[in-house]
Amino acid sequence: MSTLELPEAMAALRPKLGAYVEKIERAAPYGAALLSAQSAMQIRVDNREEQVSELAPTAGTVLTAFDGNTVRERSVNGFDPKAVTSGLDELLGGASFTAGRPVDPGPERKGDFVTPMQVPPASLTTAEKLERCRELHRRLKDRDPRIVNARVSYTEMGEHKVFCNRAADLAQHLQRVRLFVFLMVSGGDGVQYDWAQKSARGGWEMLTFSDAELQRVVDQALALLTAERIDPGEYSVVAAPGVAGTICHESFGHGVETDMFLKERARAVEYVGRRVGSDLVHIWDDPSLPGSLGGYFFDDEGMLAAPTHIVDAGIFRQGITDMYSATALRLPRTPNGRRQDFSRKAYARMTATFFGPGKSTFDELVGGVDHGIYLQKWDSGMEDPQGWGIQVTCHYGREIRGGRVTDRVFSPIAMTGFVPDVLQSISAVGNDLQIDSGTCGKGHKEYVSNSAGGPHLLLKARLG
Amino acid sequence: MLRTITDALRARRDLKGWTVRHVASREAQVYGVPSTIEASRGVDQERYLVSVLRETPGPDGRPSCGSGEATLLPGGDLRAALETAALTAGLVHNPPYSLPGPATFPQVRLADESLSRDLGGAAESLIVRLYATAADHPQVRLSAAECYVTEEHTHLVNSRGIDVEQTATRVDIEGVLLARADGRETESFFMLSRRRAADLELPAEMSRQAQYAQDLLRAGPAPTFAGPIVLRGAALAELLMPAESQAGPLQILGSAASKYNKITSWERGKTILRKKSQGDPVTLWVTSRLPFGQHAGRFDEEGLPSRRVEFVREGKLVNFIAGQRHAEYLGIPATGAFGDIQAPAGKTPVAELTRGKHVEIVTFSWFNPDPVTAEFATEIRLGYLVDGRKRIPFKGGLFIGNVLDALANIRWSAETGFFGHYQGPVAARIAGLRVAGEAAA
Repeated sequence: MSTLELPEAMAALRPKLGAYVEKIERAAPYGAALLSAQSAMQIRVDNREEQVSELAPTAGTVLTAFDGNTVRERSVNGFDPKAVTSGLDELLGGASFTAGRPVDPGPERKGDFVTPMQVPPASLTTAEKLERCRELHRRLKDRDPRIVNARVSYTEMGEHKVFCNRAADLAQHLQRVRLFVFLMVSGGDGVQYDWAQKSARGGWEMLTFSDAELQRVVDQALALLTAERIDPGEYSVVAAPGVAGTICHESFGHGVETDMFLKERARAVEYVGRRVGSDLVHIWDDPSLPGSLGGYFFDDEGMLAAPTHIVDAGIFRQGITDMYSATALRLPRTPNGRRQDFSRKAYARMTATFFGPGKSTFDELVGGVDHGIYLQKWDSGMEDPQGWGIQVTCHYGREIRGGRVTDRVFSPIAMTGFVPDVLQSISAVGNDLQIDSGTCGKGHKEYVSNSAGGPHLLLKARLG
Repeated sequence: MLRTITDALRARRDLKGWTVRHVASREAQVYGVPSTIEASRGVDQERYLVSVLRETPGPDGRPSCGSGEATLLPGGDLRAALETAALTAGLVHNPPYSLPGPATFPQVRLADESLSRDLGGAAESLIVRLYATAADHPQVRLSAAECYVTEEHTHLVNSRGIDVEQTATRVDIEGVLLARADGRETESFFMLSRRRAADLELPAEMSRQAQYAQDLLRAGPAPTFAGPIVLRGAALAELLMPAESQAGPLQILGSAASKYNKITSWERGKTILRKKSQGDPVTLWVTSRLPFGQHAGRFDEEGLPSRRVEFVREGKLVNFIAGQRHAEYLGIPATGAFGDIQAPAGKTPVAELTRGKHVEIVTFSWFNPDPVTAEFATEIRLGYLVDGRKRIPFKGGLFIGNVLDALANIRWSAETGFFGHYQGPVAARIAGLRVAGEAAA
């Protein structure tokens, strides 16, 4: 594994963090400091233009004081010791701390961590990355005369973080990469599109598209030119891994973020230890899953990455926690305290959330459906932890007739349902675990990189 | 620092142009959970966003233009940042274009001094007001609330002589109201973003949300319904423009960048509707001059002055929304970034729009239409089947249709309101769409 190299100002500030924590803990029962620097760049190549842009970087210091009742934080721009000292004085000046619930700083832990990569983005020049995108664009753009625009979009996101409390001294470099191909085609009645993406916590070695994969995007975009709207109703559904991941994310992901328990917004709180799905259902959240976009080595509150078994053979075992909700509700800490960046508070957030694999092959799943829908490509999802509903919007699905997937395409398709009904209806689970990636918000804000996935699933759901 | 950066940029001979934005913000955040304040936070941020333009020969030998960006955070290396930006700009080959030139920048009301004076005090007092206003409705309780109060100052300078500043405030509020009866609990969740505190209209919003939470207690399954559908307030605003982004169908299909990249088939002077209009005329303005509008400003990120742009007149596209570059490519006026949406008052009072059997939708799970095809199928968080005096709440079911078809069959209310990113009729009655539910209507 490579050695961690922190940005200079961050490295210079790191040795002082212990003293800051000590000073906070002279006034409050618990203190912590987080240094966070995020940077990102994007390359976009279209048929008629190209662009290299920087996505706004952030860099700052979070000073935390917690008395078991209220978290007080000061987020200071950058890593200048004078500004941080001044921020510390502001944080402690005039604040009164009461003795609330005991706050657990966690076990003793130290370590520096670096994302393993074969081809680190930093080893390539911007010119080389741009040329790779142009090359991929050339492979895509002329595959059919109905293509009106092909877009290749590459994003790299780097994060350096240092966390310190009285028990922890941790640092990590996370490198995330995403490569999209996006294809617009024109038919008689308008424009349609499809896309494919590769993403990873890793380097360029994860970002290769085969010719067959590119051709699939073209074929699917063209198929959408004749797509129909589906007749609303309840269907037998085979959900592709990305769709399964979105179901899992919106149901027993958001629904078991325990800050939602605290806010009395999650129906799941009544179901701890109870059945919420069929025996075939296992759901995990695991920031340590190798290569997953949403993963890391430790969270923004210093908890080392480890898997959480949320649903075990259909029984809801435990939720995912941040420090505040774990303290307030006296729950075990899990490594899920995440911030959008240094300017935002930590919430209980998912990392890589997925259904565990089963034993069925794809052909067995589809073969058991006389009339149904293969939900093939997810687009977005929305949670409703209190009402325990889910909405999963799919870009398209295909008809299943007589145990075979046909060429009849429907778009878009929304899937809705009551979470326990959907999970109880899962009657077969595929053996083909795949993890997909995206961006997750808390409601409509607090965006973080995220992964979700699963195998193919056979279930019943309302579509429209 | 700004002067140091602009001096360094002026000294370079390899650049066709440059823009620097100095953005400094202060923010107070307060988070409430049942019976206590979960967290209070103070945040300072400052950055210099540098964009440079270079002209270099393209692969075919013809002149080409490229831009490069670098953001300087405190303590950043100016020389290295400018080198990176210039190097990047030299790699990118697009048809030549220029930067915006000097212009008259309008004065637009963006800042609420009552917030700026004491951000932390304002955030705390808003949270207290939220809980106090909720307490006026004993049938519900506020179980969680968040309040962010932000002041942001932007100073933009470019190589063509633009030197302009603005200060804006913003208040963002989230709340969760719970209602309980017979062992059943429901919530109404709301988010509001405004530039000034008075526009939050907390008592009215709280009354509305309290009613929603209680109505959800007696809500049944959604009906299957094909007939008039009434959208009110925020739900209508979402049809025209998603509240949390600018990537709805009107924003994508009406942008010059989409036109240049052949993503949209819209043409100036031609209808944007897919069907012959059978409703009121659709006329929409896009404006960044709306006082205290969510997307209002004196200027956009490129330095184009804010404008009020006629976007759609009687169903026909009047102007694409264009930044400098795509405006030059297409030979059309540069309008600046997409702002807020304004629609003129309709002719029909709400009382008349809501006559007869219809479905009224007040909140969606997430109204998320396909930005290119404008098709949607979205879950209804709360709606009502209305028939005369009967008003039966329901939850669930799918609202299905196409945004452009909805606009072809719309009747606007005479009454108007302001919803942060939308100013116009407070309600609309739409024909030709449907609700797919579980029960017969």
